[in-house]
Amino acid sequence: MTSSSDAPNEGANGNGHAGRYYGQGIPYLPLDQYPGKLIAIEGTDGVGRSTQIQLLREWLEVKGYGVIETGWTRSELMQPTIELAKSSNTLNKLTFVLLYATDFADRLEKEIIPALKAGFVVLSDRYIFTALARAGVRGVDRQWLRNLYGFAIAPHMVFYLNIDVKTLIGRVLESRGMDYWESGMDLKHGDDIYDSFRAYQQRLLKEYASMGDEFHFRTLDARRSIDRIQDELRKQVGIFLEPVEKAPEPAPKG
Amino acid sequence: MTFSLLHATDFADRLLYKIIPPLKAGMIVLADRYAYTAFARDATRGVDRQWVRELYSFAVRPDLALYFRVPIDVSVDRLMARRVKLKFYEAGLDLGWSANPLESFRLFQGKVLDEYDQLVQEFGMGVVDARGSITEQQRLVRHVISQHLNITHTVEKTDDELV
Repeated sequence: MTSSSDAPNEGANGNGHAGRYYGQGIPYLPLDQYPGKLIAIEGTDGVGRSTQIQLLREWLEVKGYGVIETGWTRSELMQPTIELAKSSNTLNKLTFVLLYATDFADRLEKEIIPALKAGFVVLSDRYIFTALARAGVRGVDRQWLRNLYGFAIAPHMVFYLNIDVKTLIGRVLESRGMDYWESGMDLKHGDDIYDSFRAYQQRLLKEYASMGDEFHFRTLDARRSIDRIQDELRKQVGIFLEPVEKAPEPAPKG
Repeated sequence: MTFSLLHATDFADRLLYKIIPPLKAGMIVLADRYAYTAFARDATRGVDRQWVRELYSFAVRPDLALYFRVPIDVSVDRLMARRVKLKFYEAGLDLGWSANPLESFRLFQGKVLDEYDQLVQEFGMGVVDARGSITEQQRLVRHVISQHLNITHTVEKTDDELV
């Protein structure tokens, strides 16, 4: 194992080097200097992650990069199980956390690591920080969580789309509405989904913000227009992938 | 990793629904396998030992843990005598060490047993020699548990003594 000598017995924390495991890692999958790059886009529900990822992907592909996307709970192994578990009332915070971790482990082994080996740019729609934030808000021990995710790879870049609750509420109501889990209704703060959503997302945002320094978030103001956010993303990704090249062209205004 | 995490999820579910409530009610919970199985099996599959231990740090430490130790040959003979079809994961076939299920079982479970031997030391587990007869083993188990629970009256006679 290449990374354990750097950080023995430590879980996910900001000391991890990009492209290496945060903690003990997966002993049977040692990481070499793989040519691929892992870029995570984080942010709470409805903040505009998937739109930004789609635009970023198109731009990268036009520039000739191989791109794959991976997203939370999208593993072949776990997606049906997680959906089933969410629809029942038997999930508790611990099993919730562990199901997410299993999903992540499956995608890490089957999608992310192979793609990094093959030189792809991996765009991750959410990363472990969503799990850390959600579980943290639910009172799961933070050190235990960081140890649990010690098998995760530190991304080369983490973009955090930051938003305030008021703007977020407007956006979510305009699109698909508030859903049970995104409103933290399992925390039993009351029957009112609006109040619950506001309280829960407020706490989530605080939790995300508290991780910013620890995990080197590049924070972007998600209240700005899609194009302006995309410009900023492309600028930073461009500088990272092609340090010598001049500033990339701005996103087409539409 | 996913094998390890799925089992941990199952364990967490049983812990919170089936183990902790009866303990709170003052009942005795008999667990057929516990976190030690995961420690032995996951380590054999190449998962970091320390990571698995910390993963299971939410588990309740048992008041008493007994390990039924048996050599791999006895284990194989018993399974074969019952003509049990070896299960894919029990035989460690996922590891690709051997295409022959029996050979793979021997290799995999042999290593699992080595891991258990280390766990006995680490966690101070009581060891029961599982080569003996069921009656002998049961007598020993009852003795150990009686002592642990401070049951002072004579241990119930086993069936063969009553004959």
